[in-house]
Amino acid sequence: MRTLPRRLGVAIIVAAIVAFLSIKLNAFRDYQIAEIAVDVTAVAGLTVLTGLSGQISLGNGAFMAIGAYTTALLLLHLNWPFYLVLVIAAAVTAVAGGIVGIAAARLRGPYLAGATLLLGVALPSIAYVYPGTFGGDQGLNVVFTTPAFLGANFPLTRWQAWVATLVALITLVLLANLDRSRIGRNWRAVRDNDVAAALDGINAAAARIRAFVVSATSAGLAGALLAIVTGLVAPGAFTITLSIALLTAAVIGGLGSLAGALWGSLVIVLVPTYATDVATSHGLSSSTGANIPVAAYGVVLILVMLLFPLGIQGGLQRLISAFFGPSQKSRTGRTAPMPHVTPSADQAPASQHEKEGTS
Amino acid sequence: MVEFLQFTLSGIVFGMIYSAIALSLVLIWRGTRLLNFAQGGMAMLTTYVAIEVIYKTHSYWAGFVIALVAGLVLGAASELTVVRPTTGKPELNAVIVTIGLLIFFEGLAGILFGGQYRSFPAAFSVTGLKVSGTPLGVSRFDVFTVAAVLLTTLILAVVFRYTTAGLRMRAAAFNATIARLSGIRVARVLTVGWALAGLLGALAGVLVSPATFLYPNSMDAIFVLGFTAAVIGGLDSPAGAVVGGLLLGVGLSYVGGYLGSNVTTLFALGILVVVLMVRPDGLFAGARMRRV
Amino acid sequence: MSSEARGDGPDRAGAAGKSASLTVDGLVAGYGGVVALDDVTVTADPAGITAVLGANGAGKTTLLRAVSGMIRPRRGRILLADHDVAGRSPEQIVRAGIAHVPEGQGVIPELTVEENLRIGTMSWRRQQGLRAHRAAALEEAYTRFKPLADRRRKLASTLSGGERQMLVIARALLARPRVLLLDEPSLGLAPRVMAQVMDLVVRLSREQGLTIVLVEQNARGALAVADHGVVLNLGRVVASADAATLAADVALRHHYLGF
Repeated sequence: MRTLPRRLGVAIIVAAIVAFLSIKLNAFRDYQIAEIAVDVTAVAGLTVLTGLSGQISLGNGAFMAIGAYTTALLLLHLNWPFYLVLVIAAAVTAVAGGIVGIAAARLRGPYLAGATLLLGVALPSIAYVYPGTFGGDQGLNVVFTTPAFLGANFPLTRWQAWVATLVALITLVLLANLDRSRIGRNWRAVRDNDVAAALDGINAAAARIRAFVVSATSAGLAGALLAIVTGLVAPGAFTITLSIALLTAAVIGGLGSLAGALWGSLVIVLVPTYATDVATSHGLSSSTGANIPVAAYGVVLILVMLLFPLGIQGGLQRLISAFFGPSQKSRTGRTAPMPHVTPSADQAPASQHEKEGTS
Repeated sequence: MVEFLQFTLSGIVFGMIYSAIALSLVLIWRGTRLLNFAQGGMAMLTTYVAIEVIYKTHSYWAGFVIALVAGLVLGAASELTVVRPTTGKPELNAVIVTIGLLIFFEGLAGILFGGQYRSFPAAFSVTGLKVSGTPLGVSRFDVFTVAAVLLTTLILAVVFRYTTAGLRMRAAAFNATIARLSGIRVARVLTVGWALAGLLGALAGVLVSPATFLYPNSMDAIFVLGFTAAVIGGLDSPAGAVVGGLLLGVGLSYVGGYLGSNVTTLFALGILVVVLMVRPDGLFAGARMRRV
Repeated sequence: MSSEARGDGPDRAGAAGKSASLTVDGLVAGYGGVVALDDVTVTADPAGITAVLGANGAGKTTLLRAVSGMIRPRRGRILLADHDVAGRSPEQIVRAGIAHVPEGQGVIPELTVEENLRIGTMSWRRQQGLRAHRAAALEEAYTRFKPLADRRRKLASTLSGGERQMLVIARALLARPRVLLLDEPSLGLAPRVMAQVMDLVVRLSREQGLTIVLVEQNARGALAVADHGVVLNLGRVVASADAATLAADVALRHHYLGF
């Protein structure tokens, strides 16, 4: 609890910086700030699920879809105030996350990845099955306006950026609290060795389901934000590409690290625009330009996993340690964001299923 | 009644494609305990190679054969460069590495070949076949598809069962330590496994692309369903892969035919969930490896 | 057996057919942060049986694993005759002439007895008439190990404990090693079967000139058959003498060997 004021302090500073930037920069940048905030919200939940509790999910795009469609439907049919809609969207997604978590509780590794992959592919197709309710391919429009007290000249994009950033920061603070709490410790224990954790009295299944609920809720919030930022909720926005982009961001930023969620989101939002600009300025077609970041992400994912498994955040921490000496965090053994015990360099040079023993 | 027959037959055709992908995933899983998320992407790339060869040489079969060879090469190259370094590290690393490979392949295809949908030729006529006036819902090419996958599967089964090379692969898959202590170069065996998986994927790619068209993401859905088939059958079981593929293909064909194509993926999800809740290791879980 | 009939040709140090010594010199090895073997020097004389004894955790299995290449030593040499094989991979070391029968499950239960045996020949170099030589070698193994012959097409999972031990030893012998490393061959076996295994071990060294390194918890049984004994404790050699001397040293036995 001692660190909660510190986290709130950091959040307030960040909010102030973002507010300042949003005033200084143009509308497009405001939109990018909002995009980044949306991604941070979703990626933070995913990095907690995969990095802390060791469960890989390729279907968080589906939870975003649930949050987005709930928001769109509530705003469209009931016109409730946004903060209320947000809470309901979060609750609905939390329930969905619980259901998925329970169904997936016994699944491990690739079986879990496959099931969540299929979830990510299948769920958005509900929009096509009930096109009357969900708007089919065209989707649903979302109307979001600036509140009256800001005056008539306050740009919508800036307001969207502020709202998104606020929700993102709240999510981050809450997740940071969970990370450091008993719940977070239980997640790590279950991730590293669920047999040992069970012997310690930790209910592994409950911990895993809890992680899914938390991760889904974050994604649901992100989906709600996406709805009001883009103004449109359609199945085309929630393809498997989205789920993979979220995982990419989590990995590049540093699995298990909330700051990593920010770095990763910055990468996946800013790099494509930059790459397309560079490509077109060199005379390459825009489709080539659009694909260069994709190919680059693939390479970066591979390189990160092979060479820098701790991602950007890990690299930054190493830099900081190099300059200032080991920080309090690293001295108290901040857990590595790996789902299993990280083997050291001296272990047997055989396949992954070599079993060690001494006698 | 005729409809039912048509759905069944076309379900078998697609089922064979899923089986091919499922089998390639099982091959890699048994050898390296890895799920190769890039399998569909590899199949897509080799199909692009095929179409370029076909354009240049005006020969379908040249493209077909070169695609298979490219599959062997791409599979082996992927294992050697990207997957080998992940041995001994947490399994999450390998999963993400293969996802990275997938994204890279799709981006690469977009850069090299563009994103537009391209049509891919079929080896034989795609006109529906008829038996005494009743349309069967499948064509000569469909029959070829089924035959090609079955034949390849059979050849692989024979090689595994009855040859020394096959014994080496099975030994390495069941117990890599014993295999190495007996002199089997397990690393080489793993590369061969990936190469064969690449071949299977390439085969699936050229067989299904006439129906799905070819574009960088064209194999994504096929991969997901092939994966589902593999998981349903149990990732350790080649027989399970084939059975799982057929069951899924036929089942989804009925669903798509009677209930509409929008709900097929939802049904696939439902089937997967039910199977995994009852048997978390797949239907043919008896064949699984004893690994701690 | 003439070397042509053996039908193999792995890279060997020294002339084929002559018994070879195995010397471990200043070996340091371990797992992760743990050092399990600390400057260990052991010599196994040619065609002799050398017992490696000690309590659990002493480093006995680690020693065998380091010799066969399952783990990479951090320092030291492993000399087969005069040839240093330290740091090589298991596949290379078995081809050099050292076969290792690891502790516990050594059979592959999903394969048949015959398939398990055939795996033993996988270290053979490619050559003329390989298939015939392989078949001949298998027949020879069946002659020597009758129970295996009776069950050659059955899955290895159907074998009893003693039969499995026989299978793994037969498989190791098919690699035509000059040095055989046996890790707890009598583990989990009934006393009568244990005695049969020990008999087999003795015959292998006497008749074939095989150099045998025998790791055993059952120190009494091991010393009864061994020529020389080495006692490990916490990764160090605390005693090295001929078997009779060790067996007679009551204090040593009580302290390190439990009898």
